[in-house]
Amino acid sequence: MSDVLFTNVRIFDGGGEAPVTGDVLVQGNRISRVVKTGYGQRSQPVLGATTIDGAGAFLMPGMVEAHTHFSWNDQPSLDAIQRMPPEEHILWCAEVAKRYLDMGWTSCVGAATAKPRLDVVIRNAINDGTIVGPRYLAASQEITVPGGLGDTTAPHLPQPEFAFGAIVSGAEEMRRCVRMFAKYGVDTLKINLSGESITGMPSEMSQFTPEEIAVCVQEAKAWGKRVAAHARSTWSVKECVRQGIEVIYHASFCDEEALDLLEAHKFEHFVAPGLAWLINTCHNASQWGLTREVTQKMGYHRELEAAIESMKGLRKRGVRILPGGDYGFAWTPHGSNAKDLEYFVKYIGMSPMEALLSATAWGGPMMKMGKQLGYIREGCLADILLIDGDPLADITILQDKSRILAVMKDGEFHRAPPVGAARPVRTGAPATVTRWAA
Amino acid sequence: MSDTLFTNVRILDGSGTLPYSGSVLVQGNRIRQVGRSTAPISPAGATVIDGAGATLMPGMCEAHTHFSWNDAATLAGIQTMPLEEHVLWCAKVAKKYLETGFTSCLGAACAKPRLDVVTRNAINSGQIPGPRYLAASQEITVPGGLGDETLPHLPFPEFSFGVNVNGAEDMRKVVRMFLKYGVDSIKLNLSGDNFVPGANSHTTWMTDAEVAAAAEEVRMRNKRIIVHARSAASVKQALRHGIRLIYHASFTDTETLDMLEAARDEVFVAPGIAILYALLNEAEPFGVTRETAISWGYQEEWDAALESLSKMHKRGIRILPGGDYGFAFNPHYQNARDLEFFVKYLGFTPMEAIRSTTLYGGQIMMQPHELGVIKEGFLADLLLVDGDPLANLSILRDPKRLLAVMKDGRFAKAPEIASQRAWGRAA
Repeated sequence: MSDVLFTNVRIFDGGGEAPVTGDVLVQGNRISRVVKTGYGQRSQPVLGATTIDGAGAFLMPGMVEAHTHFSWNDQPSLDAIQRMPPEEHILWCAEVAKRYLDMGWTSCVGAATAKPRLDVVIRNAINDGTIVGPRYLAASQEITVPGGLGDTTAPHLPQPEFAFGAIVSGAEEMRRCVRMFAKYGVDTLKINLSGESITGMPSEMSQFTPEEIAVCVQEAKAWGKRVAAHARSTWSVKECVRQGIEVIYHASFCDEEALDLLEAHKFEHFVAPGLAWLINTCHNASQWGLTREVTQKMGYHRELEAAIESMKGLRKRGVRILPGGDYGFAWTPHGSNAKDLEYFVKYIGMSPMEALLSATAWGGPMMKMGKQLGYIREGCLADILLIDGDPLADITILQDKSRILAVMKDGEFHRAPPVGAARPVRTGAPATVTRWAA
Repeated sequence: MSDTLFTNVRILDGSGTLPYSGSVLVQGNRIRQVGRSTAPISPAGATVIDGAGATLMPGMCEAHTHFSWNDAATLAGIQTMPLEEHVLWCAKVAKKYLETGFTSCLGAACAKPRLDVVTRNAINSGQIPGPRYLAASQEITVPGGLGDETLPHLPFPEFSFGVNVNGAEDMRKVVRMFLKYGVDSIKLNLSGDNFVPGANSHTTWMTDAEVAAAAEEVRMRNKRIIVHARSAASVKQALRHGIRLIYHASFTDTETLDMLEAARDEVFVAPGIAILYALLNEAEPFGVTRETAISWGYQEEWDAALESLSKMHKRGIRILPGGDYGFAFNPHYQNARDLEFFVKYLGFTPMEAIRSTTLYGGQIMMQPHELGVIKEGFLADLLLVDGDPLANLSILRDPKRLLAVMKDGRFAKAPEIASQRAWGRAA
């Protein structure tokens, strides 16, 4: 790994200020120097560092996806995900992990896996270099109740292998289940506290007793794990706050009390609404049989409206809202995750700056890495994107792989910027000089 | 896919003829034109690679590959790797085999039922990089034989490395299961191995009825049987049942050699002598001293194998490289060492050693009309080698000397271009 000096880049440092033109030096896996310069001003090469002339490209922190399901296989149903054999499934996860990194997500928070060990194995394989992928926190399967979201067993096929989630009933079964996943080495326990309309159990409905939830939280804490909840219903959101469940997914139906509760505890929770699922299920899934009529009947249009209102309310109250969520279905394919930032701007009134910060500044704590991650600042980890264009002017360019010129994770290029191959390399120069564009 | 023209290369075409200077044009996934001397071939839009005198030879074939052996010291150490990790391991190994110049591999058994099939399918669909691959079953064995890793108090099949069968009907059922999974080859362990207590390399324990049942099922589905056969009796048993791919064949008598010679147009032998060598000479860090290996019988087998294989070579029986890489003492990626052993211990010429991994490779992969030789119309599996493998075979296992690896017309390892060299260091 050699050091890299980015010159002539517009630096978006993740702190909320307008970008400035300057140089960024990466040494090892850290950002060691950030300096302001004038546009086009020549910088001194750094001995031993490869210089990349950004020619005005936008340099920003790698993005953090807060609700990732590597093992969802771009199929139209939970059943179709669940039926993939484990051997194929793990290769799928490896392929998807790479795709996320390709698209600029240098960190992902696993939000549930389709078979017990998939997430853990992928995280370990990324960390030991067997495969390439983002920084990753591994999740358990979805823990659910018989008949709840994630119970895909059929009456005549009650074997647990047919279930998408892990099905428990009662506090002691919950305890056993959490311990099993803790033993496997997950970072996060995922619990389904509400329904999901597409499965026949409406999103406003809730599941689990407070006692079962308490055991889940207590055991998770005992093993140093985090709890994340699928919580669409009003009760389930409040239960997350009451029980201290740190990560709240969806939170579609927040009433005034829920909003106040969350505001009062806003630095103890992360909310990742996963709007992409609602929006695309409502509007872009008719090819899979989910016509407007069907999704209206399911209640998704009403839920989308409620979710937009809830997120607007949470945004006003300063609750941390993060991108990511439920990519990996046929109509929300993996890799299109940056649409979430567009949705934040379009539907809940964030400025492009706020949307970018939701993927960067809040990513560090979401990854349990504090302020080491999500900033272009001296001493921070070198997770860096080089973007052709200005996401602050057009947030949608982050969805376009060809605009993401380079992806660096932990000081190493996953995708190096294209080199002008025809450019002669001056021998005897202190460092190789390359350009990313003609 | 862009076309590629290799100019200024020394062509070692793999058929056994002497190398010559020339150019090779690859269009799509095939070799379109082979030009002798300096007669120019029009690049017509192809990327031109000036070989600057490097050797261009066919990609190598490994005839006895175990992607799922995980460089552990024991079968149990391989078997206890969890399924998910095991799949990713296989994917990693497959990629590395290709990068080390093996563009074709013949699976010789996998450690869990579907590993080989899944790896082959993932390679073919382009999901992971890897060589052309023929997928094998697990080792099919008998209770107490090589591959039965169950313990008396843990008799569960999941604890077993291979699949244990008892009787012809049991065999039929197991073979059908693997055929259902989609294997190309069914692996039978017809003989023991010296590290297995009570089932050494001289033992032969499968009944003819069991072997016949397997052979019948495999024939019906037009697949292939491959066998672990170290003892003379097991080699003869294989030949009696029409089995044409024999691994090891360490112990032979005149009758065995005659039978092999009679079938020499169809039979392939992949001895895998590297593991014998490694156990005797290189396994001490892993707890197998030379004395231990000798006491197990490996010196006796080594001596017998060199004699058997040298005689087979003289009788014109095709002997191919590869075998049992993937143990701690015989790790993956140094497979090309077999070629050196063939020259050093079996009396091959370097040219014969090359031919055993190129021309014969295409034949054992069952694509003799399109694989294994640099010839117009053949598949573009090519290696660009810095140096002359005929003068020094060991350069074939030096990654630095392997300048480029092409499989099916695409570079698995592209030759470095000046401006990219800096990136190699940066990335």
